[in-house]
Amino acid sequence: MKLNQRSVAHYAMSDSPADHTGFLRTWGGPGTPPTPSGTGRRCWFVLKGNLLFSFESREGRAPLSLVVLEGCTVELAEAPVPEEFAFAIRFDAPGVRPHLLAADGPAAQEAWVKALSRASFGYMRLVVRELESQLQEARQSLVLHRHSTWKATAGRCKPPAPDRWSPGLENGHSLSRDCSPMGLVEEGGSRPAGRGWAEWELQGPASLLLGRGQSPVSPETSCFSTLHNWYGQEIVELRHRWQQRAQCSQPECEKQDRP
Amino acid sequence: MRYNEKELQALSRQPAEMAAELGMRGPKKGSVVKRRLVKLVVNFLFYFRTDEAEGGAPGVPGPRGGGPAGSALTALSPQPVGALLLERCRVAQEEPSGFSISFLEDPERKYHFECCSEGQCREWVDALRGASYEFMRRSLVFYRSEIQKMTGKDPLEQFGISEEARFQLSGLKA
Repeated sequence: MKLNQRSVAHYAMSDSPADHTGFLRTWGGPGTPPTPSGTGRRCWFVLKGNLLFSFESREGRAPLSLVVLEGCTVELAEAPVPEEFAFAIRFDAPGVRPHLLAADGPAAQEAWVKALSRASFGYMRLVVRELESQLQEARQSLVLHRHSTWKATAGRCKPPAPDRWSPGLENGHSLSRDCSPMGLVEEGGSRPAGRGWAEWELQGPASLLLGRGQSPVSPETSCFSTLHNWYGQEIVELRHRWQQRAQCSQPECEKQDRP
Repeated sequence: MRYNEKELQALSRQPAEMAAELGMRGPKKGSVVKRRLVKLVVNFLFYFRTDEAEGGAPGVPGPRGGGPAGSALTALSPQPVGALLLERCRVAQEEPSGFSISFLEDPERKYHFECCSEGQCREWVDALRGASYEFMRRSLVFYRSEIQKMTGKDPLEQFGISEEARFQLSGLKA
């Protein structure tokens, strides 16, 4: 079975962040000759995403081995040498031997077990989806918040409390209960729902080439003012409609006002 | 670099996000398009032989190493011909309804894929662009900081995972 090994090795050596690093002892493992002493072989291990690489040393120029941490469990294990702090990576597949590894101490052992057991792609995706929906919620309540403050200034509701007026978004999660009719709730919700996975996946390749910390959603949403303007479009439109309505009814007012 | 093929084969049998029979051409000079069952599982793209013989087009050699040996076995649990790790790669739409995957260390080496419609092609491109751990990480870091800006709270704190290296703006350096 082929694998794009050069790219994999390149990824191992790239400057993308490592999720855990350290020296571990390793026994056997596929392709490793058994060490007669039973003390295993000390290697430098680097965890990157769902891939565990080992190197000859910290300065190793090419990975010695690769383990893909999917569909496996990580548990404490007994090492051939009693004082070692061992653990094993087990795969639920026929004929696949577990990888036996050992750390220098209990703290390192715990840290490794923790890091390895959370290394799967699925775990990362779960957290990403959770945060994605949290961000949508926060944006929706921001939209609602802007709706209600605008409505308030339009004089159809009682004026908001001064703290609600402030651009500070500490209360971004709380809805302004006093003036948020259902219609607005729905309108506020419609747009963020449309900006789901599809859109930011399209941005994938661009963001792959962008520096870290930049928006994968779209580069321009990373600052609040653009985000604010973007969501503001809806409000501007509503306001425009409201003004048109107000203008329609205005001639009557003017007539009344004239002497 | 050592790796256990059986582990990768087990991964290739896990539920796929996308799977379809596509035309595939490797990066080597003179490579020809072959029908492959292409399967996206997490950040790996697996490709399998399809049932039909590969010698469809004139001049195309038969399946490599394909013989009576193993054919009964592979029918029961087909083994992938190969896998591509989708990290540090670039997925590009190609005319008329295909896409290519190349890797950062050698962008000229491209794996070509042919879909049966533009729609199918777009679906694959979208799925592949989101199928990288590093892409997920960047998305997470972005969402985390956006939520923090908007609400003043760290959204990971409630789960007790705010200290995890994989969720930090700048992780450990290898």
